[in-house]
Amino acid sequence: MNPQLQAAFDQSLAGVPDWVAALRREGLDRYAEQAMPTQKMEHWKYVDLDFDLDDLAFAMEPGTPLPAGPYVDALGSVAATATVVDGIVVGIDGELGAGASIVSFRDATDADAALLQETMGRHIDLGRDKFAAAHRAFAGDGVLIHVGRSTTLDGPILVDVQATSDAIASFPHLTIVLAENAEASVVVNYRSNDDLTHVAVPQVEAIVGDGSRLSLISLQHWGRGTTAAVHEKVILGRDATGTIGEVGVGGKLARLDLAIEHIGNGSSSELIGLSFGDQTQTHDYRVIVRHEGKNTSSDVFLKGAVEDEASSVFTGLLRIEEDATRTSAFETNRNLVLSESASAQSVPNLEILCNDVICGHGSTVGQLEEEHLYYLMSRGLPKDRAERVLVRGFFEEVIDRLPVPEVADPVRAVVHDKFATAQAEGRIG
Amino acid sequence: MTNALAISDLRASVGSIDILKGVDLQVPFGEVHAIMGPNGSGKSTLCHVLTGKSDYSASGSILLDGEELIGTPVDERARKGLLQAFQYPVEVPGVGLEEFMVEVGSARGIPADELERRVAASAETFSMGNFLDRAINDELSGGEKKRSEMFQISVLDPRVVVLDEIDSGLDIDAVRQVAEAVEELRSPEVGILLITHYSRILRYLNTDKVHVMMNGRIVDSGGAELAEELEDGGYEAVRSRLGIDAPRPAAAVVKADPFSDLPFEN
Repeated sequence: MNPQLQAAFDQSLAGVPDWVAALRREGLDRYAEQAMPTQKMEHWKYVDLDFDLDDLAFAMEPGTPLPAGPYVDALGSVAATATVVDGIVVGIDGELGAGASIVSFRDATDADAALLQETMGRHIDLGRDKFAAAHRAFAGDGVLIHVGRSTTLDGPILVDVQATSDAIASFPHLTIVLAENAEASVVVNYRSNDDLTHVAVPQVEAIVGDGSRLSLISLQHWGRGTTAAVHEKVILGRDATGTIGEVGVGGKLARLDLAIEHIGNGSSSELIGLSFGDQTQTHDYRVIVRHEGKNTSSDVFLKGAVEDEASSVFTGLLRIEEDATRTSAFETNRNLVLSESASAQSVPNLEILCNDVICGHGSTVGQLEEEHLYYLMSRGLPKDRAERVLVRGFFEEVIDRLPVPEVADPVRAVVHDKFATAQAEGRIG
Repeated sequence: MTNALAISDLRASVGSIDILKGVDLQVPFGEVHAIMGPNGSGKSTLCHVLTGKSDYSASGSILLDGEELIGTPVDERARKGLLQAFQYPVEVPGVGLEEFMVEVGSARGIPADELERRVAASAETFSMGNFLDRAINDELSGGEKKRSEMFQISVLDPRVVVLDEIDSGLDIDAVRQVAEAVEELRSPEVGILLITHYSRILRYLNTDKVHVMMNGRIVDSGGAELAEELEDGGYEAVRSRLGIDAPRPAAAVVKADPFSDLPFEN
């Protein structure tokens, strides 16, 4: 390993509680023993990484925060806002009231620390890839949201995750813990400016307790020079409900490795998402939905569009364990390829070890349908306008179902603008 | 009376296959004309060629109120006022019917408040109020789709309306409703061309003229008596009166059965 990185790592452990230092050292060991992913690896075969994490410094201090983000107005009144710059929590505004808290790891109280000790880094496997281990090793801060038993938050929490420092890697972390019968909505907005070169390696861990309901939406607006490798895991207890949204429109290469674990009996989840890549963007989504408890249900509905030379990958794994009787699981991935040089891959996989299940999956990659265009044009819409209507319609089925409906309008606007701009610049049609 | 639609020597082909072989037809403003014809006579092709579908190469003349449409793209024809109700309207997921009308209205320069008024009025006329917020044709029954087609047309300043098999696949009550909807579209500013395989819809409609299409041409035109002849004697009656040979099924290659002459069952 790069000696400078080792030195920086050692320095970053100063003043850190022993249990954290131990976790991070474990991360560093696993980091050192894993190679950077290459296209020869099955799980990375569609993705070309043009850097080595070893060559990057990692953020110790936050850069200058960005101006207010695109969702602030739409969300209106929020329960709290956490601002994370280059992986470091620079502000938490708002109080959650009795029974709930939001703190940075650095400011964690003893009670919070006890909770973190139980949860932090316990769920995302360090061997999953080098990024997962790097995150454990180098993440020096994070946001902890804790919602206590039978507590419902008054409005969504916005976690504004920014990258602002050039030529470094950052490791933002978010841990969400809902105790029993709690309810919360969390909006995570990832963003950076286009002129920044940055590698972001965020992790989101959500533990949804028995009977609790979590709405969690990620709004990925990284700038064009940002590469992101996100690990996200949602663990559902008995009768817990997770409604997960994933919107990906930014980044140079944005990879999401998401796992939804139905551990408790009667737990259910819905994953609704869209990605839209243009120019040379790559969006790589790996979604693992696992059913372990009995009587659980899941529904994955993801749509992706690519234009110009953009590429997208969806790899789904639906795994139903042997004892997960009466599971109902559906997975749909639809892709729209809008330019000849764009590409979309869709690879759904099923591993069903139990007989007593209802499962379905569907995956398509296609273009705008001529019959649809003809129909819309036959009413008087010019072709470019008809195309815009169809692209809008393609995404509308997803946008309409996103958790936290307040974000729908801004998402709609970004997606429409992306296509209309490509048309106006003559990149489409 | 001026013609809403004047078609002369209209020919159309797909690849090397000629489908329309010189169609001549006039529909004056204010009138409803029916074109009847057996399967394969070219009726649906005529509709698509009028609408301007690019799958066909077409020649001849299609005049809308005196203005040539040949060579004009689909959307421009529609903006000039030629609108088709499709036999099989496609479902367009994610695009709401009213949202679509607003979009088209804006493309056609119809002021927003005027469009809103028209949508409300036409939704009332064609009983489409419950479908405005739903995706276009999404999970609509056959009859509802036909009503949706006519609803859309009525909102969009039609001058020539082409109704392709607007009565197919409907039960008798739905046919009657569709016929009433056609009467709603009738106006002194519109010419209506209704294409149908069956004569039953004509019982509920006041058609000004009936044309019979066979083998890519209009072979006969007349009034109610022609519809009655078709109703009584079918296309065969018209064929035999006009001395037209019954079409041979093109694809049915009759294979000689080598055992068919044997004097015993095999």
